[in-house]
Amino acid sequence: MKPMDVDKLVRMANQIAANSDYGPDKDKLAAAVADHLTRFWTPPMRAAIIEGHRRKVLDLSPLAARAVEKLAPVAEPA
Amino acid sequence: MSKAYKTYQRAADLGTPAPNAGTKLVTLTIDGDDVTVPEGTTVLRAAALNGINIPKLCATDSVEPFGSCRLCLVEIEGMRGLPASCTTEAKAGMKVTTQNAKVAKTRRNVMELYISDHPLDCLTCATNGDCELQDMAGAVGLREVRYGYAGENHFEAKKDTSNPYFTFDPSKCIVCSRCVRACEEVQGTFALTIQGRGFESKVSPSQNQPFLDSECVSCGACVQACPTATLTENTIIAAGKPEHSVITTCAYCGVGCSFRAEMKGQEVVRMMPNKDGHANHGHSCVKGRFAFGYATHKDRIKKPMVRETIHEPWREVSWDEAFTFAAGKIKSIQAKYGKGSVGGITSSRCTNEETYLVQKLVRAAFGNNNVDTCARVCHSPTGYGLKTTLGESAGTQSFDSVMKSDCVIVIGANPTDAHPVFGSQMKRRLREGAKLIVVDPREIDLVRSPHVQASYHLQLRPSTNVAVVNALAHVIVTEGLEKKDFIAERCDAEGYETWREFIVDPQNSPENVAKETGVDARLLREAARLFASVPNGAIYYGLGVTEHSQGSTTVMAIANLAMCTGNLGREGVGVNPLRGQNNVQGSCDMGSFPHELPGYRHVSNAAVREQFEKEWGVRLLAEPGMRIPNMFDAAVAGQFKALYVQGEDVAQSDPDTHHVTNALSSLECMIVQDIFLNETAKFATVFLPGSSFLEKNGTFTNAERRISPVRKVMEPLAGLQDWEVTQRLAQALGYPMNYSHPSEIMDEIARLTPTFTGVSYAKLDELGSIQWPCNANAVNGTPTMHIGEFVRGKGLFKVTPYVPTDEVTTRKYPLLLTTGRILSQYNVGAQTRRTENVQWHDEDVLEIHPHDAENRGIEDGDWVGLQSRAGETVLRAVLSERIQPGVVYTTFHHPFSGANVVTTDNSDWATNCPEYKVTAVQAYKVTGMSDWQKKFTEFTDEQLEFLRRARSPEAVG
Repeated sequence: MKPMDVDKLVRMANQIAANSDYGPDKDKLAAAVADHLTRFWTPPMRAAIIEGHRRKVLDLSPLAARAVEKLAPVAEPA
Repeated sequence: MSKAYKTYQRAADLGTPAPNAGTKLVTLTIDGDDVTVPEGTTVLRAAALNGINIPKLCATDSVEPFGSCRLCLVEIEGMRGLPASCTTEAKAGMKVTTQNAKVAKTRRNVMELYISDHPLDCLTCATNGDCELQDMAGAVGLREVRYGYAGENHFEAKKDTSNPYFTFDPSKCIVCSRCVRACEEVQGTFALTIQGRGFESKVSPSQNQPFLDSECVSCGACVQACPTATLTENTIIAAGKPEHSVITTCAYCGVGCSFRAEMKGQEVVRMMPNKDGHANHGHSCVKGRFAFGYATHKDRIKKPMVRETIHEPWREVSWDEAFTFAAGKIKSIQAKYGKGSVGGITSSRCTNEETYLVQKLVRAAFGNNNVDTCARVCHSPTGYGLKTTLGESAGTQSFDSVMKSDCVIVIGANPTDAHPVFGSQMKRRLREGAKLIVVDPREIDLVRSPHVQASYHLQLRPSTNVAVVNALAHVIVTEGLEKKDFIAERCDAEGYETWREFIVDPQNSPENVAKETGVDARLLREAARLFASVPNGAIYYGLGVTEHSQGSTTVMAIANLAMCTGNLGREGVGVNPLRGQNNVQGSCDMGSFPHELPGYRHVSNAAVREQFEKEWGVRLLAEPGMRIPNMFDAAVAGQFKALYVQGEDVAQSDPDTHHVTNALSSLECMIVQDIFLNETAKFATVFLPGSSFLEKNGTFTNAERRISPVRKVMEPLAGLQDWEVTQRLAQALGYPMNYSHPSEIMDEIARLTPTFTGVSYAKLDELGSIQWPCNANAVNGTPTMHIGEFVRGKGLFKVTPYVPTDEVTTRKYPLLLTTGRILSQYNVGAQTRRTENVQWHDEDVLEIHPHDAENRGIEDGDWVGLQSRAGETVLRAVLSERIQPGVVYTTFHHPFSGANVVTTDNSDWATNCPEYKVTAVQAYKVTGMSDWQKKFTEFTDEQLEFLRRARSPEAVG
């Protein structure tokens, strides 16, 4: 089994962050981006981006990175 | 015979249209009876309402009266002569006599003249027994024609059979002008005229051209209006008068027209738009009225088929064997790769009940939330954007609402092609004087057509919608034109303040964005002022809004614009998404998205889940499943192994064909349920034959949230209705589904979905159609939403920053490709390509501006290679000034065209709706097919051979 295409996830996360980036309270914005990822991304997608970010191999924008840091740990997918 | 079946009779005709709704009534006397009617009603209509059918020929209630045939003459006390009742308005105290010796004699004389120049071939005439002229001759008691038939006449006038669907036989024409008026008033095309004077008068399409070569759009309104056999459907010429009819709903676009399927046994002989249809009021387009032949096309697959891999021939099997095979594959794949390795795609062409069952099967029998629908690739941003701002994922109005609009903005939609019946209604309102602002990169027909001209066409560069809509709002707020009272009363104050601060920023000014958008700042300012100045402003939009990297943002910007101008919560206003497929709204309502259960409730909501768990008897997952693009990515990565696709054709319709077909080829099992071996089915290992809309019971929900009945008029060709197929598959998987009729599925939906609580088949039979929400608060449904209060409480202004797309032109790819639809074809064309509609559009072409063409040495009709970073295809060039230099345009109705070989995997940030409308490309002259097209042809030939070998010997011949 090949790994999930994390680059695509990074592109999507950065896009979500870019479209949500308005206002001074970056923590609130990061929470909103994290909420979006929680509501719409599957657990394996979230797990992949959390893991990639933990290993510091992803090219995430600052807001997207902050959002990923806010994501709750993901249980093993079904 | 079900109650829905009615013995055929011509639809009732009150002679003239209802007057504009007023409250005042007048009472007159007709043949001694007091009759009370709304002011403005004609005498003809007043009599008909009272059961007195005054003879008539040139009058019909779909067009304004004309007063030419002189058959509806009556006597009115105090009025001289015999006035025509069709053009005489009923007045209080009027005394009307509809029949006496003088009136009868005059009518007979009139009729005698008509018949003296009419062929007397009634017994062999196509409309024998269903002809108004014949009826009127009987009604006036015509017994002889004293003039004889030897005088000058039109008996030898030549038939025009150029249109594939109807025949024009001028020898039967009485020059009543009903066809001409229907073309003008009902359809709004103005293709017909009466040419010549006196005896030479004749109906002329355009400049006396054959119908097919004229401006006629083949909507059939003229045929419907004709009181003789002059304009007759070819199916009626072939089959004769229908014997029964059934009210049902069109399976083409999101307008959802109501039709009378007029039948002989199980054969449809005519689709007649239903005058009582709430979405279409008796009108239709070329697709709905005429293009139904696909349902019985020879390509229909009538037996289930299976195979181990896509590289081997199909095997026809019994239904039982097919279900056992499919269920076995799903179970073994889940056992090997995990529960999440399979998923399903519901269909926006299938009924609500069928869609509901597929998502139920995925959630309950597959045990995951990997379900999505084709709305992913069209209106998912509408769901997201409107839910966020207004609180409900649906349009706010009825179609009829447009008749109260004073200014209409059309953004990224082409209603006269893609939603033609609503397009006609909008044009009617525009002819009455409403203003029009078009925001579109292309000069769509609405910008300038007979008696319609847009006040402003903001011809923006593709991908700059957000900048333009923000700039409109910027002008309104900075010039103090916003509706402060509405905002204060109806909208969230904090949200508004944040948005206001954002929108007044000079970066959003028309002048600042003009370079990016290509829209003249002065025009944009004027358009904004116009929209803000009218009492009722309405916004209509389509896929030109949603299919962008900022699709959801534009939807929210549109909602902001409507809120700041106070244009929500009453008739004549609103945010109106024009839905693509017939049941896109319904498929979304029915819980087709991986994160939402029916009624747009997130799967993480434990209370909602519990209701479904109780009803369905299973535990449901609280986490969202995969969207379609996630499924494809996971398939390529080897993590997603089986897919059940009902009535969708992702291999043709979804972007970046290379990636899609790569994903589909990676699956170990794909179950396709469809009426044809579509492009996706060529990658399938199980084929379950589907049923067309004529072969099943259910409901569709149109763009105005209107739930309309779909009724079975013929037996399913493969033996099962689509909902039965899903049910049997669930049973084979060991999950119990035991519905005996789709009404029971709707009852379950109503039990579980707050906006559907009051919906039932009994109520649909009673009301004809129902607009949701329909519940205790709105017993008969909700035509206009958000009256008094938004569904979410206070309307939420969302900040909508313009973020340019990554898909930008470069030296290598200097042009922007944008895509769209054409009137005669529908979506991937699987249906319309199998009808005579191909006469209007037998291939997709590339529209290119003459400047761009000249720079590349391309001439009209040349083959042109079109290349993007995703792929390359070849199309024929058509030089066009409808698009600006730098932009090229095509449609995607034919698979061989490969429009989606070129489109990329860029998508909307919030919903992953693909960015079909913006692809950076290069175009160049070529002499032959692209590599992809060569491979496509080889693969198609191979798969058709596999199909041929599956069929029994008698079918092969």
